[in-house]
Amino acid sequence: MHRNESLPTPASSIEFTDLGFRVDDRALLTDLNGRFDGGRIHAIVGQNGAGKTTLLRCLTKELAPTRGQILFNGRALNHWSFKALAKQRAVLPQQSAVHFAFTVEELVSLGLEVAESQTNHINQLEQILAVCDLQSLAQRNCLTLSGGEQKRAQLARVLAQIWPDHPEADQAFSGKWLFLDEWSEGLDLKHQIQISAWLRRASRQGLGVVMILHDLNQVVQWADEVLLLKQGRLHTQGDIADVFTADNLHQVMDVHLRLWRDPALPYPLIVPE
Amino acid sequence: MPLSGRFLLLASGLIAVMAFSLQSGSLAISLSDWWQGLSEPQSLVLWELRLPRVLMTALVGAGLAVSGVALQALFRNPLAEPGLIGVSSSAALGAVAVIVLGGVLWGEVSGWQMSLAAFISAAAVTMLIYLIATRQGSTDVALMLLAGVAVNAVAGALTGLLIAVSDDVQLRSVIFWMMGSFSGADWSQVALLAVISLLVIGRFLMLSRPLNALLLGESSCLHMGYAVQPLKWQIMGLSALLVGTAVALVGVIGFVGLMVPHMVRLWVGPDHRQLLPLSALGGALLMVLADWGARSVMPPAELPIGLLMALLGGPFFLGMLLKRRGRLSLMGNG
Repeated sequence: MHRNESLPTPASSIEFTDLGFRVDDRALLTDLNGRFDGGRIHAIVGQNGAGKTTLLRCLTKELAPTRGQILFNGRALNHWSFKALAKQRAVLPQQSAVHFAFTVEELVSLGLEVAESQTNHINQLEQILAVCDLQSLAQRNCLTLSGGEQKRAQLARVLAQIWPDHPEADQAFSGKWLFLDEWSEGLDLKHQIQISAWLRRASRQGLGVVMILHDLNQVVQWADEVLLLKQGRLHTQGDIADVFTADNLHQVMDVHLRLWRDPALPYPLIVPE
Repeated sequence: MPLSGRFLLLASGLIAVMAFSLQSGSLAISLSDWWQGLSEPQSLVLWELRLPRVLMTALVGAGLAVSGVALQALFRNPLAEPGLIGVSSSAALGAVAVIVLGGVLWGEVSGWQMSLAAFISAAAVTMLIYLIATRQGSTDVALMLLAGVAVNAVAGALTGLLIAVSDDVQLRSVIFWMMGSFSGADWSQVALLAVISLLVIGRFLMLSRPLNALLLGESSCLHMGYAVQPLKWQIMGLSALLVGTAVALVGVIGFVGLMVPHMVRLWVGPDHRQLLPLSALGGALLMVLADWGARSVMPPAELPIGLLMALLGGPFFLGMLLKRRGRLSLMGNG
């Protein structure tokens, strides 16, 4: 259904070549080559310890790879300053609990301040709160929120950081990226659907999304492309329809899975055998 | 209420308390005396004793409160406080070492030398506690507090050792210094403290946004475009400068950096653009009030102000611990 969108501006991409990351004698990532295009939703899939989060942290410049090169939007990542990067991409880390009593609105404003946009913050704030269904919680202290609500508030803060001046514009999010480490963890179904629908819409407006997900059924519903990681090495990368085969998944996840095709659904259901 | 309103409220409170504190003492100086012109002894007492003392009290209070705010951002925990994590006691060790060893090695010791030694040991201990308690950007609160216990014990023991080997003259100046209190304040000390406090507090104010981002965790701070490592170095160095100078001049006064930021946060939330200036004012207000109280409880004797703050702060700290019961552990993230 949503697999065959045309690619947006070519400048929006992340490329990595011969990427390696070692800690002491342990290789966490080895000889990774791949490419993420903007305007698409990418999922990184692999077992625990396969190097998913390490790869994400390298691609966001949090970790410096011990080998290889990363190009972010056509320019070497180590030539990007964190300040310039912060306006192009936002990151939701795996650990995203809030430890101080910011209100939801204050938290989202921290993201908006990074964007330094010239337009009305109040309007932007309302748009962002609406995406994450937080309007009624805007004045609530984050410490009093449930885990899922806190996650949504942090997601809103992350969205705010790359929120464009005119979010309705055709390519409003062109060149911008979101890196989301297990964003759906702890969210109820309604909000998973609402936020993934927004991500889909924003990706049509040029937003590039890289997410780490554990639930393979979420991957097939939400992602355009998948990168399969196995023990720090690239197994396969490509269009989800090509990559998600029972064979590949068995090799990467070390379980036997069956892909059920239902004629009413555009994607298969994945169940253990 | 916007920041300006809150700021004015606390500032006028501070000025009022300072005015009251200036009037009270064994030599009464009332408002009508002000109006009619002061007598010679009155003006001497006011300008040479009370005014420097009140200003120094306010500056120390502001500095200690702000250093609490900064350390709490560094450790991402409201229980981080220079007294509790051992920064103050090691600053005191540095100052005593200068009195005792400096007396042997180069004779006359100055306030500058004591401040410098206090600053260096405060900075070293802040770094040590940070290295012990924080891993991959998240702080283990129990570890932080226990490391503080250990540092306090060692610093206290070494201070005792220095006192044991000191001669009569040194001993007298150590004891005189350790009793703390603001009674020895003179204008040169006030000037030193004012320059350092205002510069450091000003610098922290400029760092408000990165400090806000740091509350969300080190990696989020980085991804929001702020250079985390230089920020952490600045917090450690600048807060040690505030604590070190304050301790060298007036001795160890605990809990200010715990109580004031906590109360201000309850009032305005954790945004540093409000938290920092209001904590500075609040710290000054609390300290001037406490000093006034310490002088007025049983005149002409004076309660040591460190003792008074511990009486207030100890139960306050226990209350904060009680609220966090079950969330403090050696493994988890408080």
